[in-house]
Amino acid sequence: MIFEQLSGNLIQGLVLGAVYGMATMGLSLIFGVLKVVNVGHGACIMVGAYTALFMFKQFGLSPLFAVPVAMIIGMTLGLIFYYSAIRRLLKGPELATLLATFSFGVILEETIKQLFTSEVVGYNWDLPKFDIGITVLSLSKILAAVGSILVALLLYLWFNKTRAGMAMRSVVEDDDGARVCGVNVDWEYALSFSLGIGLTVTSGVLLTMFIPVGINPYMGGPYTLKAFVIAVLGGLASPYGAFFGGVVFGLVENGSYTLFAMIPGVEPFAMTRFFSFVMLLVILLIRPTGILKAK
Amino acid sequence: MKNTEKYLPVIPVLVAYAALLAYGVLIPGKWQIASQLAFYCALGQAFNLFMGMTGYVDFGYVAFLGVGSYGMALPIYHLSDKGLGLWLIVIGIFLAAVFSFILSLAVGAVALRLRGAYFAIATIGVNEGFRFLIEGARIWNGSEGLLFFLHMRTAFGKQTATAISNYWADGMVFAVAIVAAIMTLIYMRNKVGYALTALREDEDAAKVMGINVTKYKITAFITSAVLAGILGATAWSLKYSYVYPSDVFEIHYTVEAIINVLLGGAGTLLGPLVGGIIYGVSKYFLAIILPGFQLLIFAPVIIAIIVLFPEGTVGMLKKKVIGTPLEKYII
Repeated sequence: MIFEQLSGNLIQGLVLGAVYGMATMGLSLIFGVLKVVNVGHGACIMVGAYTALFMFKQFGLSPLFAVPVAMIIGMTLGLIFYYSAIRRLLKGPELATLLATFSFGVILEETIKQLFTSEVVGYNWDLPKFDIGITVLSLSKILAAVGSILVALLLYLWFNKTRAGMAMRSVVEDDDGARVCGVNVDWEYALSFSLGIGLTVTSGVLLTMFIPVGINPYMGGPYTLKAFVIAVLGGLASPYGAFFGGVVFGLVENGSYTLFAMIPGVEPFAMTRFFSFVMLLVILLIRPTGILKAK
Repeated sequence: MKNTEKYLPVIPVLVAYAALLAYGVLIPGKWQIASQLAFYCALGQAFNLFMGMTGYVDFGYVAFLGVGSYGMALPIYHLSDKGLGLWLIVIGIFLAAVFSFILSLAVGAVALRLRGAYFAIATIGVNEGFRFLIEGARIWNGSEGLLFFLHMRTAFGKQTATAISNYWADGMVFAVAIVAAIMTLIYMRNKVGYALTALREDEDAAKVMGINVTKYKITAFITSAVLAGILGATAWSLKYSYVYPSDVFEIHYTVEAIINVLLGGAGTLLGPLVGGIIYGVSKYFLAIILPGFQLLIFAPVIIAIIVLFPEGTVGMLKKKVIGTPLEKYII
């Protein structure tokens, strides 16, 4: 019984983990290229969730259509924010970019709050569900996971097969060297920041396909924390590491939820969140460079 | 520098707090505003002690205020009928200090081994993590929180309880602000401050020079956290007679602490005071003119400050007064 429940939840965790992974790639991309931690990460996910919600409620469009829209919104926000603030802060102390991205998140949250109120909302995308014996997976969850894997794959191909992607990787390796070889480093910074925010906003759409409820302007906080755990699992600077970190995290999260639910007198949902925080501290303590040493 | 000269900058700080106190006491109906301003100043002073001096950002700072408010709430909630009278407040402040000390020691021991970005990442979860531990494991009444309005009345009597909520709690906020400012000055003028300045400029160089950076970072971190704990105990628990985990672990207070410090100038003594007053007054008027828009206005202000004048108001003033007799007083 317990075993069946656990394995069912682990399958859910695997599917959710793929989405988590994709939701962290933007964070790792920005850190890898610019060495900037996007503390407003969760807020960007929230913007994606509202994009999906708005298109669904207002135009009756399926969240799949929201994916490109979210990408465009995110990349635009990223470019604006890069050129208005981040670019001037790259040479300053770390404190400056941390506070700037933090404020960026607050701006997003408060803007959305003014536009949509702080009410908790959701939408209902009625798709068939599949009973696979130990658990029930809906098509929208599977689409979210497949979409995430697809995005991760596209990013991989872009980084490895195109000149633009390789130029960006060269900046990760050594920005002075890249500059000497004629790479426009400033533009690469702008592009990766914008791409990172774009990916994150897009992941918000995919996350609502998995969990279409509980959307509110402040929903991002827990995702920021989760994304940090995942990014640190994957070595912080590597988008692929982040993807695999996400899968691991999805498994751990759902597994620990099942186990906490067995302890009487404990609220498993809150404990799972506490657990992810403990995990973050432990990983940072024992191996800040990441547990998974992905390429 | 002679010993008395070292501590001259405390004069403008004390004068400013005395003026604020006088404004609240002497002008009828202004006490609440004055004490609210004192809260922002105290929050900034305590936060600045760590962030300003080390250059590290602690995004989980409000957690210390949160555990501090529990430190005060618990004895009042459980021991109100033991006839301890005002000793309860002493116990509460002591417990608040102990709770925030333990939490900061635990967090600091892990997070302070990490640098810059990694430190910020480690602290961002402290607040949420601790809140979910309280809610999840149902510690201290879990998400229902502690309500102790009636307990306050049982313990202190109706009149005293009202006086505590309306006046004494605010008075203690002033005290925390002043103590935090004095601690900052003492640190600045002693080995801790010099070590932290070296660390802020170049941590590796400081290490090579033989400075035990971890020790000084932890000292500043714990001092700042304990002050925050006592602030939470007085400004929240004593004043409002309730503690809800979702209220006391509200991340907006961390934002406010950051704004107060940045507006005034990180790492300066007068900065948090000036920043707290600028922030408090503008928030007060914004709440009247544009209710609900305060954060939407302040967040871009933070970015503007970081980009355009990272030294803050006092930082700029400090540069202006170099070479004048005021130099000794403003740091």
